[in-house]
Amino acid sequence: MFNETSIKEIEEIRTKYPNSRAALLPVLYVAQREFGWLSPEAYEAVADLLNVPKATARGVGTFYAMYKQKPMGRHLIQLCTNVSCMILGAEKLVDFLKSKYGIEPGGMSPDGRFSLVIMECIGACGTAPAMLVNDNFYENLDKKNLEEILGKYQ
Amino acid sequence: MKIITITINGKEIKLEKAVTVLEAARSAGIKIPTLCYHEQLERYGGCRLCLVEVEKMPRLQTACTLMVTDGMVVRTETEQIADVRRGILEFLLINHPLDCPYCDKAGECDLQDLVERYGPAKGRFKEKKRKVKESLADSAIVRNMERCIMCTRCVRMCEGKQGASAIAVIDRGGHSHIEPFSGGKFDCEYCGNCVSVCPVGAIMSRLHRHSYRPWQVKEQHETVCPYCGVGCTVVAQVRDDVIMRVIPKLGSAVNNGMLCSRGRFGYEFVGSKDRLTVPLIRKNGMLTEATWEEAITLVAKKLSDIKVTFSSQAIAGISSLRCTNEDNYVFQKFMRAAVGTNNIDTTARTGFAGAQGFIENIFGQGATANIISGLANSDTVLVIGGDPTTVNPILGLQIRACARRNGNVLTIGNVEGLRNFNPSKLLPKLQTEVTLLEGIVTALREKKGLPGSNAALEAKIKDITISADEVTRKTGVAETEFLTFVDLLADAATFSLVIGKDIVQSSGGSYKLLLLSAINYLANGRIYLLSERANEQGALDMGCAPDILPGYRPVAYPEFRKKCENVWHTELSDKPGLNLFEMVDAAEQGRLKAVYVMGENPLCNIPDSGRVETAFKKLDFLVVQDIFLTETAKLANVVLPALSWAEKDGTFTNMERRIQRVRKAVHREGMDDWKIIAEISKNMGYNMDYKGAEDVFHEAAKVSPLLRGLTYEDIENGDNIYPYKGEPLRDAMEEIQADRSARSVKSGTLYLKIERPLFHSGTMSTKAPALINIYPEAVARIGAGTAQALSLTEGDVVRVKTKTGSLALFVAIEKNDDNLSVKISNNFEGKSAFRLTDCNLDPVTKAPCLDGIEITIEKVTA
Repeated sequence: MFNETSIKEIEEIRTKYPNSRAALLPVLYVAQREFGWLSPEAYEAVADLLNVPKATARGVGTFYAMYKQKPMGRHLIQLCTNVSCMILGAEKLVDFLKSKYGIEPGGMSPDGRFSLVIMECIGACGTAPAMLVNDNFYENLDKKNLEEILGKYQ
Repeated sequence: MKIITITINGKEIKLEKAVTVLEAARSAGIKIPTLCYHEQLERYGGCRLCLVEVEKMPRLQTACTLMVTDGMVVRTETEQIADVRRGILEFLLINHPLDCPYCDKAGECDLQDLVERYGPAKGRFKEKKRKVKESLADSAIVRNMERCIMCTRCVRMCEGKQGASAIAVIDRGGHSHIEPFSGGKFDCEYCGNCVSVCPVGAIMSRLHRHSYRPWQVKEQHETVCPYCGVGCTVVAQVRDDVIMRVIPKLGSAVNNGMLCSRGRFGYEFVGSKDRLTVPLIRKNGMLTEATWEEAITLVAKKLSDIKVTFSSQAIAGISSLRCTNEDNYVFQKFMRAAVGTNNIDTTARTGFAGAQGFIENIFGQGATANIISGLANSDTVLVIGGDPTTVNPILGLQIRACARRNGNVLTIGNVEGLRNFNPSKLLPKLQTEVTLLEGIVTALREKKGLPGSNAALEAKIKDITISADEVTRKTGVAETEFLTFVDLLADAATFSLVIGKDIVQSSGGSYKLLLLSAINYLANGRIYLLSERANEQGALDMGCAPDILPGYRPVAYPEFRKKCENVWHTELSDKPGLNLFEMVDAAEQGRLKAVYVMGENPLCNIPDSGRVETAFKKLDFLVVQDIFLTETAKLANVVLPALSWAEKDGTFTNMERRIQRVRKAVHREGMDDWKIIAEISKNMGYNMDYKGAEDVFHEAAKVSPLLRGLTYEDIENGDNIYPYKGEPLRDAMEEIQADRSARSVKSGTLYLKIERPLFHSGTMSTKAPALINIYPEAVARIGAGTAQALSLTEGDVVRVKTKTGSLALFVAIEKNDDNLSVKISNNFEGKSAFRLTDCNLDPVTKAPCLDGIEITIEKVTA
């Protein structure tokens, strides 16, 4: 179930749309934040709150790549491996994440601390390689500072 | 009106209104291939197979979405179009497994037919096909997503027509597939309407899986569904005298291509191994197989003996709401003419009969005979006393359709099946409906004034004064909600009122019906009275009641009696006989010596069943004529095996009072119910010679003014509804009686509520494996809050107790419940909710009051 702040937030979102179905996308984001991913319980909670059929909610949620359909780590690493980042060693960083933390691209570390998603360009070609951890942006990455940065996320 | 002229393939077509190019072409007999188009569903334009060339339009257009305009010139079969269609089909086949030899759909598969006509002989794609495991999670429906072509007909059916929204397109692009929420089990209403519309073998019925090919169906019979009072048209497809499947028919008057779970998946009871095959006679305490001759002679002799030793009045008959009009007509004639008593009744007495009688006394006969599809066109529908989407599912769909068309759907109490449609609902506290209804009547009268056409009803309405303030105080309904609700009712131009049994079967039921009639009168509406059995209306109209003759004619009126006497060549008693409940009393007191039961299971279906059992055990002679050895049959002295709905000809009368033909689909050794009765009658010295069901109907049409000389030919296509033109055949009463005494309730107590489930409806459905798999056994349904308070979890065994009885049941937890009630159904033998209820009757409608029955739950530890 949602906590009270989220319920208030959802009610607020709801007022911006002509009907509850139209409010599905932003509310699914709230659910993802709350539940970590769009679990069956998360979909049901959204469906109950908005009074839309739960199958419909899941149909909408599974269409978009940015809604997570499987359990996610506490922190989400989104690493770019596009051209500039790749040339400057992003793929080595992927290997490093694999050996150091045991995370596969698209997967989660065994301790549930991190999930890794390989991103397309995040507009930091001049300061590549770059990544997002949750909503925070990091650039000029190498193994050393990557480890340091991730140390902040427990 | 301007006529639109278009040219398709050189053929000029004149149209009175704008339709799509596809519809125009079809009306002119020109075929355009389609996959995603279905006449029942919203236009989609997804499959692109219906692309056509339109002059002066730059690209090919989808015929299913393009509206015709005057002067349009269309070509449907050109080289370019064939090329495009071939291309589309090639794409569809990229991921199609081409397992036609193994697929049940082969032979009636749209994709197969189209590829055969347009498609490439060979695909050019070398990539591997996607692999998805077939889902066998359900007993009724199989889902094979490898075969799916993403036309989304099933999703549009589920959401747009059925209103269940149980399935959706999951994922995106090449990974798209159709899934219910769980990903496995459908957990839905199991209407199977997705099965009907799937053009390929992706969603199919599991009941006939791998058992035959569509072209092996040599015969099909259009008949009427045997389950509820809606009377849907069904088509039974038969191979070697076995029903292979039951499908709906597009364009049929009542259900137009839709079915519910019972209608579609509930037919297998016909071929059940548990069916009775030979007559049984109790010898030395055991039911032993006997010949027909033995059994018939014994029944005739016993009944004759009792008639002589005691009197005709010591014999009673209980007739069937599942048997045809013909069976019921002969049965009541047998009781009246051969036995010589008016002691005949049906379980319609437990609600429908009294409620209908009450309403007809106010508005005249035929007041509840309203066209079901009319509900969808109402601008306002008020639902009270039950969930129409489970009792009469296809009627429920019409209410959902009304909501979808932006009609106002109002409910008093929770109606789970309408939850997705956001009805305006009022939730009065337990046992305060009367105040709420009185408040509505007062407010409507003040807003709209009295129409002045029904003096008796207005006399009652004038006496009612409850202010909005009082409503709020007593019922707990917020004043603003109440006022909005009343405004919606007052503004209704076309109003419909749907009344369920929970209201009829409650204390003060007749007064509530009076108030509802008043609301209906003030809002100028139509009343729909939910009916659980296929021929509930028909049995009543045939005179299977202690006080009426065929055609709803009171036995007390000499001229009606005379009419029957002339045809039946006998004298009839002018005294009303015992009704269903009086029969039980009389049996208990030893006044009643013999009961003949045809196609009914009183031990499951009469409230306070424990007492019914004791009473029936006291009888000297009990005859049960049925298709299964029911609880009641197990007590009988003679059990006679009957033919089921699929094995006989006849007619059913649905709740609209539409008379429809039941047609024999499969052959089985045995006799029609009416035939057995006629044989016994002959043995008792009263000759009944009918050549067939049609002959019986012919006689009934002579006697009953409701049938007015109808023949089978007249009712062939099912559009015969009486009373003709809605004229009342019997006048309204001059004074209305109603009883308002309501049982009191206290807080902090649980009350019994009769569950009326979607998947079951008595003996037949519990012998249908597909339905049993969905809803396997009797349960006590409780709200999540109650469960928590009693620390119960799903599947726990509990003992539920009332003053009358107790039952051990499994717990089922409902998420959206009110936590005030424990719901139990009366469908499962030995576990009927009626074992827990007493049988106090409303003095006016004579319906049992099943509200306010305290119930306790205790966990049974193993």
